[in-house]
Amino acid sequence: MLKVEHLRKNFGNLEILRDVSLEVHRGDVTAIIGPSGGGKTTLLRCINFLEKADGGTLTFGEETFDLQTIHRKDIARIRLRTGFVFQSFNLFANKTALQNVTEGLTVARKMPKDQAVDTAMNALDRVGMKDRASHYPSQLSGGQQQRVAIARALATSPEIIYFDEPTSALDPELIGEVLSVMRDLAVSGMTMLVVTHEMHFARDVSNHTVFMENGQIVESGESKALFLQPQQERTREFLRTLSAER
Amino acid sequence: MTERLWQILVESFPKILLPGLKMTLPLTVIAFAIAMVIAIVVALIQFAHVKILSQFCRFYIWVIRGTPLLVQLFVVFYGLPKAGLILDAFVAAIVVFSINEGAYCAETIRGALEGVPSGQIEAGYCVGMSYTQIMWRIVLPQALRTAFPSLANGLISMVKDTSLAMNITVAEMFMATQRINARYYEPLALYIELALIYLLFSTVLTWLQRLGEKKLASYGGKEARHA
Ligand SMILES: Nc1ncnc2c1ncn2[C@@H]1O[C@H](COP(=O)(O)OP(=O)(O)OP(=O)(O)O)[C@@H](O)[C@H]1O
Ligand SMILES: [Mg+2]
Repeated sequence: MLKVEHLRKNFGNLEILRDVSLEVHRGDVTAIIGPSGGGKTTLLRCINFLEKADGGTLTFGEETFDLQTIHRKDIARIRLRTGFVFQSFNLFANKTALQNVTEGLTVARKMPKDQAVDTAMNALDRVGMKDRASHYPSQLSGGQQQRVAIARALATSPEIIYFDEPTSALDPELIGEVLSVMRDLAVSGMTMLVVTHEMHFARDVSNHTVFMENGQIVESGESKALFLQPQQERTREFLRTLSAER
Repeated sequence: MTERLWQILVESFPKILLPGLKMTLPLTVIAFAIAMVIAIVVALIQFAHVKILSQFCRFYIWVIRGTPLLVQLFVVFYGLPKAGLILDAFVAAIVVFSINEGAYCAETIRGALEGVPSGQIEAGYCVGMSYTQIMWRIVLPQALRTAFPSLANGLISMVKDTSLAMNITVAEMFMATQRINARYYEPLALYIELALIYLLFSTVLTWLQRLGEKKLASYGGKEARHA
């Protein structure tokens, strides 16, 4: 349902992404792992047009777009079908948890208010945040904020949700609650593209894993296989240093 | 204090307060309301880096902040008639005060807009909102909350600055006091009385500012967390 081909992105003279191609099928949970600075965040941001790519195409559903020349209207249209969860949550500070979720429904999708509230409450319930619906972000812990952010993405019934290191900004004791919400989502069949440093999640929850380094995809494949028998030396090395750290 | 002086002060009190309520107050309220509209528009234009328009806005702020308010009043009231535009003194005062205050508030609001984390704008895009919707519903409300104390200060300064309008024949409190003084020649007592009335106005506004800040804080600000 999502296909990225020959994606290129520079920041100034620096080549951040060089010819990245990636495909995600409906129901897939794909993890993107790799060392810091490898371009994982940039990749997600280009896919959701938060960053303008310098080349490449994106196929979303049935349609294919040139990432460099894609029209604003098309961007807006695709965004209505996707969700994005940020490392730093980015909840609207002036809105309650509930309003954070309804905003995308009533404002962007013109859903009637009471229907939006119902939908939002359902989403908040799924992430275990229903009883905090009237709290403002400043009144919530990091883990709770991230769960609200997931509900916000979830409520719009997206065809795919992008996660950019959703647990990296969290205290260790709060990581579990967010991962468990994501695991539930994965089990329910949600299509997810997840940049993560949580190797357990990549190995046990995602069915595909992509290893990225220096703006390129080094290796990708079925998660179990990639973790058990990495084909590339670089992947082996990366996984080895990770397990050595632990 | 002599009986006569006391008598003068008591008699003049309503004569000063009344122009305050009829001129100073409406002048302040109307001009500040218009200033806020100007400021928000100018701040948004600059924040969005709208071509040409934002250059024009910078020019406007540069000119207004770089010239004395009194000179601006004279240009509009005494100068513009030469160019064929004759304005009533009160209208001229409204025009000058709102344009002047608008420039200062625009800078305050622009700063506050830039203080809103850009991640929230991106999050807005990601849930499908348009730039206008994001600015209007997410960024501007937060910026106005941040800017509130400075804006309130601006309002309080403005009450006092309206005394300058006397120079273009607006019959506000200062002029009223001058007239009374011309009759009784008690400058010390009368001008202190005038000062006290200004103080009264400012005090009420300061009190309103506190009330407003409390209300905004209970709206989920940082303070609310510990409440
Ligand atoms: N706005 C920007 N301007 C210039 N360089 C940037 C910008 N954003 C990212 N970069 C650079 O692009 C490279 C890739 O960054 P990116 O954030 O995509 O890496 P990442 O794989 O997500 O890393 P991490 O695991 O630390 O999040 C880095 O070298 C970074 O310094
Ligand atoms: Mg990153």
